[in-house]
Amino acid sequence: MRPQAPQATLALRIAGLAAVVVLVQIGVVSELPVLGVNVELTPLLAAFVGLLCGSVPGAVAGFGIGLLVDLSLVQTLGITSLLFTLIGFWAGRLRELRDPQAAIAPVLVGAAAASAAFVGYAVIEFLLGVDAPVSFQLLRDIVLGVLVDTIVALPFWLIVRRALLGGMPEDPRRRRRRRHAYSTGGLSPLSRS
Amino acid sequence: MYGKAVRRRRAVLALLVALSIILLTAYFGESAGGGLHSVQRGFMTVVSPIQDGANTVLKPVRDAVGWFGEMIKAKDERNHLRHELAQLRASVVAQRSGQRSQQEARQLGNLDARAHLAGYRPVSASVVAQPAIVWYSTIDVDKGSSEGIAVNDPVINGEGLVGKVTLVAPDSAQVSLITDSSVGVAARIAGSRQVGIVQPKVGNPSDLLLQYLPSNSNASPGELVESSGTVVGNDESLFPPGIPIGVVTSIEQESPYRSVNLRPVVELHSLDTVQVLTAAPGSRPARVAAGIAGMPVGGEGSAAGGEGTPSGGYAQVKGG
Repeated sequence: MRPQAPQATLALRIAGLAAVVVLVQIGVVSELPVLGVNVELTPLLAAFVGLLCGSVPGAVAGFGIGLLVDLSLVQTLGITSLLFTLIGFWAGRLRELRDPQAAIAPVLVGAAAASAAFVGYAVIEFLLGVDAPVSFQLLRDIVLGVLVDTIVALPFWLIVRRALLGGMPEDPRRRRRRRHAYSTGGLSPLSRS
Repeated sequence: MYGKAVRRRRAVLALLVALSIILLTAYFGESAGGGLHSVQRGFMTVVSPIQDGANTVLKPVRDAVGWFGEMIKAKDERNHLRHELAQLRASVVAQRSGQRSQQEARQLGNLDARAHLAGYRPVSASVVAQPAIVWYSTIDVDKGSSEGIAVNDPVINGEGLVGKVTLVAPDSAQVSLITDSSVGVAARIAGSRQVGIVQPKVGNPSDLLLQYLPSNSNASPGELVESSGTVVGNDESLFPPGIPIGVVTSIEQESPYRSVNLRPVVELHSLDTVQVLTAAPGSRPARVAAGIAGMPVGGEGSAAGGEGTPSGGYAQVKGG
């Protein structure tokens, strides 16, 4: 049996994780309102895949997750895909350009992803002429939704990172720890050989 | 190499965005029976059993998490209901209090018509403080000297005699109830002419004792005792005649007098509204009150409303 290529392993892991998260989102999380709103794990997943794996995997995963959500929830196809594609790509570019190392980075990325998802969804629905008046209730739901997603971002980040750890191109934290070890006298792979 | 990666990245993004927009436009533009809708329905058909299975598997998780949420919700609801209950209780209490006040006012009107209150100017007052313990039988009312109320003014309600004023401020007054040890009232069994003194019973201040009745006087349980309006020698009492005080419960023979145990007709521990019988200036009651107030403590009659014994002796003087 031929061993799978690393990219194929990563793709499988992301697909599996996306399927599980969408199922959990629909089956459990959507039925448990927190502060009167639902926790939205799917935009966080798209953002975290991007943050862990890069812009292209992030965008592809975002598109797939969005499509899965739209198909499962019988929503207008393409809206969630478009939003999550952009979110995944943006998070991937953030990793590629800034490589955020701070522990709070996933929380901030989660908050930004949730904000983009909620606001973007409202804007697209509004542009498509869906009858959803801009009201205090809508604004309140958006703000509370972002708040709740921000709260769950860190634990969810840990779960996603653990699930994708084996197939990731390179974990920024692992790389940082390795760099730190070399600078403080640890043995590098080169010196060992 | 780098340029290729950039181009590839941009191409992927453009492709995915374009695909999303095409999907969106096509889906939005087609009818419910269109191709994309059919695909969605097909996906639903395939995924539904998985979703059902996942729902079943995840139900315990959902229930467990939901239990905490429901607990918080239930606590909020409980607090809300408690608040609502308190409001309703307050409303019921206010309503009942209003009904009782109306009833008392009606009874007071009846008593005013029945008793001999000529020369008195009744002032209705609300009770603002009830006695806390049985040994201190006083109440506070919300009217005072500004309404013409003076010390020793008799106080009644719709059921009968309540007590007398013992302390006056401009806008309030303290009333000593007839069960207070400082109050004594000249009284008689309704229908008879033999006068005694009603005082609280020693050791049981909620009950009254009609003392110093002649040994040949007739009394039987259930008979009404009312204020006599006079003391020994036909001197006038502070309390107008004909006001019910209590109902005879038992008779005791104490040579040479007879004593009668009474149960007050007034529910003294649930008073809402009372009427203070103020004396109009220059009237007979005013002159009697002035005369009694001028007597030395221990003098005949009373310094503060205690009444003399019918035998010519002196009732124990009660401070006021």
